Amino acid sequence: MTAFMALLRRDLLVASRNAFPLLMATLTQPILVVLVFGNILPRLGLVADQFRTVMVPGLMSITMLMAGVQGVLMPLVTDLSGSREVDERLLAPLSVMAVAAEKIVAGAIHAALAGLLALPAMMLLMHQVAGVAVHPNWLALTPCVVLCGLLSASFGMTLGARVQPRFSGLLFAVILGPMMLFGCAYYPYAALNVLGPFQYVFLLNPLVFMSEAMRVAVTPNVPHMPIVLLLAGLVGCVAAFGWMGARTFQKRTIV
Amino acid sequence: MSAVLEVGQLVKTYPGSRKAPAVEAVRGISFQVEAGELFGLLGPNGAGKSTTLGCITTLVRPTSGRILVDGVDVGRDPVAAKRRIAVVPQVRNLDRDLTVREVLTFHGRYFGLPAAERESRADRLLEQMQLTDRANAKPLELSGGLQQRLLIARALMHDPKVLLLDEPTIGLDPQARRLLWETLLDLHRQGLTQILTTHYMEEADRLCQRVAIIDHGLILTIDTPEALKSSLPGGHVLDLDARSESPLAPLLQGLPGVARVEAIPNGVDDGYERLRLFVVPGDGLLDRVLHAVRDARGDLRHISLQAPSLEDVYVHLTGKELRE
Repeated sequence: MTAFMALLRRDLLVASRNAFPLLMATLTQPILVVLVFGNILPRLGLVADQFRTVMVPGLMSITMLMAGVQGVLMPLVTDLSGSREVDERLLAPLSVMAVAAEKIVAGAIHAALAGLLALPAMMLLMHQVAGVAVHPNWLALTPCVVLCGLLSASFGMTLGARVQPRFSGLLFAVILGPMMLFGCAYYPYAALNVLGPFQYVFLLNPLVFMSEAMRVAVTPNVPHMPIVLLLAGLVGCVAAFGWMGARTFQKRTIV
Repeated sequence: MSAVLEVGQLVKTYPGSRKAPAVEAVRGISFQVEAGELFGLLGPNGAGKSTTLGCITTLVRPTSGRILVDGVDVGRDPVAAKRRIAVVPQVRNLDRDLTVREVLTFHGRYFGLPAAERESRADRLLEQMQLTDRANAKPLELSGGLQQRLLIARALMHDPKVLLLDEPTIGLDPQARRLLWETLLDLHRQGLTQILTTHYMEEADRLCQRVAIIDHGLILTIDTPEALKSSLPGGHVLDLDARSESPLAPLLQGLPGVARVEAIPNGVDDGYERLRLFVVPGDGLLDRVLHAVRDARGDLRHISLQAPSLEDVYVHLTGKELRE
């Protein structure tokens, strides 16, 4: 446990030193999207008022996913491909699984903070715009942010431990891009019933659960997925990706 | 003396894939290292040295065999084993986001050192490795030699029983290399058990008390450098550059006192050939060699008699020069 906490402390220290670039990397996209879709387009009358409310939790979940990916996946890819800084961690007195778990926890903290910062940033940009119904429920927000942070970090680890560095650029185009478009970020899951059974295909995308969780937490008035399904999805994804990520990490690092 | 490290029948086969066949990197290696010893694994690239080291450090999972570090079975209790070892890896994996001093203090934290001990030990090691004035620099701002010393300082932070160094002087300039040798010898004098891999004969010869010569995943021999060298036929090496009308090697091979003759390619086509004779010196040996060359109406450009090096041992054992 000492070694685990020491590694976490190191990661948080380094992250705090790089706070500005990290913030820029994770907050630029939601801020720009809000500026265009939440401020400019509504003024031009090109986007329905409702969209702004629907978009806020979706952008929080996208921000968290990207933060988890940037916090875990990218460093892992460079580490495994050559710099081997990870070896010092593997030689610390804790199990390889614990090293993986620490990376996931550090990534989850990063993702949770990014999500929590994205909310006021978006609110600030849209405060002049009428019809935004964002009412954070803090009691629900805390567990949702924790679970979504863990989910994005463990998803980042699963991908990071598998992907070859030369394909890391492709990840955004082939995996993350489609995930964001089909992740119920820009439309609520409940509204997809117009698609019939095809609605259930969306459940294969872990981002759907994150977006819906944020929806429950910050825009309770928008229809959302049943809570039981939501919790099962979140917990199931965290467990599955956490386990897969840690296993793959172990296989990649200990040859 | 007791063994701090015992490696028994170690085998590591990297599984093949559709594109690559399986690689038998280590094919049954056994050795022991005594407390306080500076032990060398000498061999060419690809001989299995780094894989062996990887198995000892838990980063490579052995296919079979057993490794005990200070009585702890590395396979059964890797966490306890990791407390007892420290590694200076071939790839300089310093934490580039921390300062030089933090590299040491955080390593201390990972190993659960209390704050006061962590700080005082970091100060002492910075001093010892002459890094004190660079304490606030980032590791990547240091020269290769200084980075290497920082790696050693980091390894010593948690007071390991065994220090493992993988090709520690690779890529260093001659001055930095010599300085690093001094550091390792200092640590040896302080009683630290060290195991290093190298493909530099001179390094193994100068530093190690015992050397295992390893090739194609097998240990060919283990002994002190002196014993290895004196095990050569004749015990001395006579090198000569000569040109003659008829080949000299068969003539010299028959002389009393000449145990073996090897032709060494000298890379230049100037008519002279370089021959290495394993000889018993004295008793008119040089006279006989000179006569033999003169009788063949040859011209002798260079002749030197020297004590053998580990390179000669390697050539003798494998019949080939050390592959660089």
